[in-house]
Amino acid sequence: MSLKIDTRQAEGVTIISPQGRIVFGEEAAALRENLKRTLASTRQVVLNLSGVSYIDSGGLGTLVGVYSSARAAGADIKLTGLGQRLRDVLQITKLATVFEVYDSEQEAIATFHRGAA
Amino acid sequence: MAFPTIVGPSSGTGSGVFPTLVFVQGNEQRVINLDHSPFGVGRKVDKDLVIADPRVSRDHALIVSENGVFSVVDQGSKHGTFVNGERVERKTLERNDRLEFGVREVAYVIFNPQHGTTNSAREFLSQISGMHISDETTDLEKLVLFLEAARKLNTIGVLDEILMTLLDVTLKLTRAERAYVYMKNPRGELRLAAGRNAKGEPLLDDKTISHSILEDALKSNSEFVLTDTSRSADLTGRKSIVAYDLRTVICVPLRKPQVQATRDADAPAGAVSAEVMGALYVDSRFASRDISGVSNDILHAIATEAASLIENARLVQAEEAGRRYQQELSIAASIQQRLMAVTIPEVPFAKLAGRNLSCKEIGGDFFDAVNTNEGLTIVLADVSGKGVSAALLASTLQGMIYSQLTAGMPLTEIVTAVNRFFTDKNIGEKYATVIIARVQHDGNVEYVNCGHILPLVVSNGEIERPSFGNLPVGLLPDAKYKSDNCQLKPGDRLILVTDGVTEAENARGEFFEDSRLEQAAKTGTLEQIFTAISSFCGGTPLNDDCTVVELLYTG
Repeated sequence: MSLKIDTRQAEGVTIISPQGRIVFGEEAAALRENLKRTLASTRQVVLNLSGVSYIDSGGLGTLVGVYSSARAAGADIKLTGLGQRLRDVLQITKLATVFEVYDSEQEAIATFHRGAA
Repeated sequence: MAFPTIVGPSSGTGSGVFPTLVFVQGNEQRVINLDHSPFGVGRKVDKDLVIADPRVSRDHALIVSENGVFSVVDQGSKHGTFVNGERVERKTLERNDRLEFGVREVAYVIFNPQHGTTNSAREFLSQISGMHISDETTDLEKLVLFLEAARKLNTIGVLDEILMTLLDVTLKLTRAERAYVYMKNPRGELRLAAGRNAKGEPLLDDKTISHSILEDALKSNSEFVLTDTSRSADLTGRKSIVAYDLRTVICVPLRKPQVQATRDADAPAGAVSAEVMGALYVDSRFASRDISGVSNDILHAIATEAASLIENARLVQAEEAGRRYQQELSIAASIQQRLMAVTIPEVPFAKLAGRNLSCKEIGGDFFDAVNTNEGLTIVLADVSGKGVSAALLASTLQGMIYSQLTAGMPLTEIVTAVNRFFTDKNIGEKYATVIIARVQHDGNVEYVNCGHILPLVVSNGEIERPSFGNLPVGLLPDAKYKSDNCQLKPGDRLILVTDGVTEAENARGEFFEDSRLEQAAKTGTLEQIFTAISSFCGGTPLNDDCTVVELLYTG
C-alpha cells in the first residue's frame, strides 16, 4: 500500500496527515477507515494533504464521502496543504466550493477555536 | 450371519462388476443391480424384487450366485418359475434369459449380465484416463484405482459427480442398501450433500437415517463406526433404529487429509484427529441385507481415500468457480466494449471520431453520440473507480443520458436528473464526471461540464479551454448545474478526453498532463494523440482507461 497515515493532536484538534497516494482501492479505504475512527471521538479534524503526491478520482470520491458524512454528524473536516495538482482538481470539479480549504495548518486549527469562542 | 461377497462374473460373459436384472411390468421397466446373493423374489415386501400380484407366491424364488455362476431356484411357488417359457425348479442363467414368476407376460425379468450395469465408476475411470481395468481386479483395487485417478483429475470439477460416484462405489463394496454423504457448511453444520440407494436412485430425504449414530461417529476418534443393531441391545432405545428397522449402520467420518499422512496405510494416529469435514453414512434396513460382514480393509480404504478425494474435488471446484468468475468478468468487459462501440451519426456539418484504450481492468469510461433535431450531442463520462461496479454504473449512466437526449431534454436537466438519481440511490462514494456537448449546424456548441477535464478547442493551431464547470454527478444531492456556450469555425476541432489521458504515467512517475495533451492536440489527429500517449508512457501500463473524442466542424 502506498499510503501512510499520521495522526496527532494540536490544541484540541486532531491533525491527520496522509503520506503518499490516495487512490481507489486499499489506500482510499485506509483513509476512510482512519477518518471514521477519528470522527467517532472528535468533531474537529484537520486533514493535512501536504504529504499527498496524488489523488485519483476514487480517492476524491472517498474524501467527499467522508466529508459529507462528517458534516451530517455535526463534525468538521478542514483541508490544508493542498498541492497545485489537487487545487486544480478541486477547481475543475468545483469541489473547492464544497470543502473548507486553508493555506496553513495553523489557520485551519484557528478557525475551530474562533468557532468555539 | 454375513453372506458371501459376490465377485463379479469372472468368466467371459460379464463386463460389469455386477450383473443386472431388467424388470418389466406393463409399460414400466426397471434395472436392478444383482449385487448380492441370494436375491429374493416374491410378494413379501422385504424381497429384493417385490412383485405385487396374487399369482406370485410370498416367497417365490431366489437368484443365487456360486463362483460367478447365477441360477434361479424356485421356492415351491404355487404358480411356478419359468425360464424362457419353461417351468423350472432350478436353472443356471444365461445372458438374456427371460424369467417369469407366477404371472406370465404381465411381469417378467430379463437376466442380462453384460449390459446395463450402472458401473459408473469404471466407465468414468476409463473415460477420463483411458485406463484399462482387467476383470480380475478386485473391487477394492478398483476403488483405489478410481480414487487415484479421480485425485489426478483436474478437468472434471463437479463435486456432485464425484460424490455420486463415491456413493455408488461404496454401495457396491459394502452391499449396503443406502448411502449418504454429508458435508459441513461454512458454519460447521452437517448438511446432506448426496444420497443414493443400491438401485442407483438419488435419495434426497435423510429423515429415516440414524442421526444419533451419525453424530456419535463424528465425535469419536475412530476411522469408522460399524453398528449392528441386532447385536447391540442398548441401541434399541434409539428412535430411528426402531422406527425404520435399521439393521446395520456404517459411519465414516471424513477428515481433512493431512499432507501424505492419510495416503499411508499405516497412518499414525495423529492423522485421525484431523478436522472433520463431513461423513459418509451407509445403512441397511432389512435382515436380508446384513452388511456387518464388510471387511475392515474396505472400510479403511473408504475412510482414508474418500476424504482426500472430496477435498481434491473441492479444490478443483474452487478453481472452477474462479475460472467462471473470470469468465463473467470478461463477459462484463465485452458488454462494456459493445456499449463503448458507438455508431457515429453522419451529419453534414461535422466529422466525429472516438477511441478508447482500456487498461487491464474494465473501467468506467463511456462515450456516446446522438443526433437529434437539437443538434449532434457528444457525451463523455468517467465513473470513479474501476472494475465491475464502475462498469455497471457507467452502463446505467449511459442508458439514462441516452434516453433523455433522444427525448430532446435540455442538457442541464439531464445532468440534474442523473445527479438526483445517483444521490438518491446512495451508492457510496461512486460518482461520475460527465461532459455533454451539443453542436449545431451553425457551429454553436452548448456544453455542460460536470467535474470533467476541460474540453479543448483547436482553432488555427491555437488551443482554447472552455472552462465553465459544475460539480460531478452523484456527489451532492442539491448540486445545481449550468451550461455554457462556445463557437466553432469551420476547420475547428473540439476534443474531449478522460483523465486517464492526462494522468497516464511514465516509468518516472510523471503524468502526461494537460501541457502534453495540448501539444499533441494542437497538430495531431486522434491517432497521433494516442501515439503521443503511448510513446510518453513507454512500457508503463495504463492505470485507467483513456478515451479521446474528436469532432471536426466542417461547416
